[in-house]
Amino acid sequence: MSERKFHKVGRRPWEIRGTPDGAKERRRGRLPGTKRHWLKWRDVHNHKTLRRERVLADKMPLWWVLGLGAVLIATPFMSNTMIGVVSIFCIYAAINVLWTLIVGTAGISSLATLAVVGAAGYVAAACNVYLGVPWPFMLVIGPVTGLVMGAILAAPSTRLDGLYYALLTMGVAEICRVFVLQLRALTASGGAITNVDSFIPDDWFLQRPGLLLGFAGAFLLLLGALLVWRLVNSERLGMLLRVSRASREDEAFAEAIGIDFRRARLMVFLISSAALGVVGAYYAMYFGSISPQIFSLDTMLLLFAMMVIGGLGRAEGAVLGDAIVTFIDKGLIELGPPRIILVALCMIGVTIFAREGLTGARAQFRDFRKRKSGEARARRTEKGGEAMPEEATEVHDKQELYYRRFNKRLRDRLKGLITPELIDEHKRDPLGHHSDALARVLNYFRRGEMADKYVIHRMKPAEERFRIMAVSGERGRPPRVVDDREYTDIKEAYHAVFLLRVNDLMES
Amino acid sequence: MDLGLIVYALNLAAIYALMAVGISILWSSVGIINMAHGATFAVSGYAAWVVTGALKPVIATALGNSGLATLAMAGTLVGTALIAGAVCGIIIYLLAFLPIHDKPNFPVRALIITLGLNIATVQGLLWFFGPRNQGLPKIFGFGRWEVFGTRIRYDQAGTIIGAALVMALTLAWLRYSRRGLEVRAMMQNAEGAAYSGISRQATALPVLMLTGALAGMAAALLSQTIFVSPTAGVIPLVKGLTIALLGGLGSVSGALIAALLIGFLEAIIGAIPFLGQRYVLFGTFLFIIAVLIIRPRGIGGLLDDTRE
Repeated sequence: MSERKFHKVGRRPWEIRGTPDGAKERRRGRLPGTKRHWLKWRDVHNHKTLRRERVLADKMPLWWVLGLGAVLIATPFMSNTMIGVVSIFCIYAAINVLWTLIVGTAGISSLATLAVVGAAGYVAAACNVYLGVPWPFMLVIGPVTGLVMGAILAAPSTRLDGLYYALLTMGVAEICRVFVLQLRALTASGGAITNVDSFIPDDWFLQRPGLLLGFAGAFLLLLGALLVWRLVNSERLGMLLRVSRASREDEAFAEAIGIDFRRARLMVFLISSAALGVVGAYYAMYFGSISPQIFSLDTMLLLFAMMVIGGLGRAEGAVLGDAIVTFIDKGLIELGPPRIILVALCMIGVTIFAREGLTGARAQFRDFRKRKSGEARARRTEKGGEAMPEEATEVHDKQELYYRRFNKRLRDRLKGLITPELIDEHKRDPLGHHSDALARVLNYFRRGEMADKYVIHRMKPAEERFRIMAVSGERGRPPRVVDDREYTDIKEAYHAVFLLRVNDLMES
Repeated sequence: MDLGLIVYALNLAAIYALMAVGISILWSSVGIINMAHGATFAVSGYAAWVVTGALKPVIATALGNSGLATLAMAGTLVGTALIAGAVCGIIIYLLAFLPIHDKPNFPVRALIITLGLNIATVQGLLWFFGPRNQGLPKIFGFGRWEVFGTRIRYDQAGTIIGAALVMALTLAWLRYSRRGLEVRAMMQNAEGAAYSGISRQATALPVLMLTGALAGMAAALLSQTIFVSPTAGVIPLVKGLTIALLGGLGSVSGALIAALLIGFLEAIIGAIPFLGQRYVLFGTFLFIIAVLIIRPRGIGGLLDDTRE
């Protein structure tokens, strides 16, 4: 068969598909030490060309690589200010990805994420400044503090939920802020710890090499947060929690099949808290200081706005929202106060129109389009049994389409022929010589499909008792009785079948 | 404890109750956690400031410097604050209720939209009016009464009496009017109310206007004690929210009890010498956390299972 050209018709997605060589054995790389594949390639067969094709079933890794790669490549060419902005974006994105893990995966509405970051940052910075602990150890002190904070915060989460827990965590953040502000040792600097040692050498601080080093660290931090996200959300813990997340009934269901979802939730919370501790230590090192501002409601709301704009509960949403809000908040700093209004308006607009933030917009649009086309199809189907254009592209045998169209026109014509006189004529003489109109109608009935075709059943041999049945159209399955009326005259039965068929015709 | 402390505590409790009852009613009937309550508070305060500033010369020329002029001033101030609050309620209805009330995740999305409204409004006020504090005319005048050997400032007495009056009117409206009956039905069981033919859209608007007006009233009364500023709404919002939660969302009596408790707690913590004003928020949150751990749905709230 020669190469045929196929046009892209209908709803087939315009996606690039690979053409694997069927003769060769397929080699797929696996992640070292695991059974996971790098990418989710799937082999399908195209039923038009009857060839094998290879599709990428999950394209998210591609988008991640493109997006993060662009950030990595573009940043070294930016101005000093913009490098700072991108670094802050990376730090905030890391915090938000971990926060998403708490809110989305674990389903705990905690607002104390920044409190954990701040506490870890403060403890690590204090150890460095007042106890002289060298900076690499801050990256150990941070997660340990985060874990402790996480354990403290997690204790009431078994008893409280939803808004009540959110309020409690907000209270914890406020308590942290007041506590820091009250410390005698810090009153001189307004509660801030300054001169924290850093992985950036002192003479590089706020210089270009130092900024680039800071950016590299922040980028690694973001990658680490994404790794934690992947390990927690997509592996066993996340799987267990997805079972129990959708509603209250699902929690009961999860419990019934032996999933200890409370423990899983707690684990996720503790893991993310420890990871947030690392971010806290890095935060203190990156800025060389840490101030009570990190506990404030405003910072928390800004980070929350990021998650909301991107899409609550998804890592890509957290990062995308971060990119937008950080750009507005830090990149357009010459706008002044209106930039916060811009952020708030973004938040309102996205929430009104999008069900799940910007990253959910595509799925939402597809749902919308499906619903609309479904409605349109239903409207058109009411007009008759003809195949619809979009259905037609999916019907393999085109003969079928013409047959349906022919049948529909025939039915429309025959409906016009049915009159009381015609029925009377049949009643008088079901088997006689008929008029042209009646002959046409009967011819149509004779040609009907076997499924649900009416037949007359003689109830006992050599006895004039009949009833009407409908054949199943399937070999081996007996016909069904249509109604319990009995006819003692075969002509009456003929006419009853005729009436049933006329009725079906008029209703089609 | 002296009488002055009690008056101070009642004063705080009156303002908190106005905010908390509004938040509580709104949550239980419509299902919105109104984070824009603080913005409503600030906007009402500014509206009252602008209108009284504009009308001051008019009233002064028409009525001179008599008691009638003070009365007219008071009427303008309270009226403007109430109307501005109600208008804010309408805006919240149009943005955070009407477009999404039948869509998925309504409570979370309404919370986010009102939060966005709050941020936008506060920043808008900051941008337009600047961060300076603005003093409103003192409608209760300056001065104090001597009662049982303690002095009660006019504004304190006026706040307590005014708030009690407004609360009583609100509760009476909820108790005796047809609309109030509908609201209470929705508070008990929104689905059942819908089956009985109570329209959610039609009920949400008056509820939002009422709670907005309550916030406006709180702003008018609090402006007698402190100044109006763009961020003035944040503290009342946080306090109102915490008190509404402490009282148990949806329980008006719980919110009133919680407002009294917190008012007294704050007055007492503020009066203890070695704690002082700086530990007020700290102490309040510790108290609330303790209560919530003992009663996870607040003082007057029932667990969802019990409610069902």
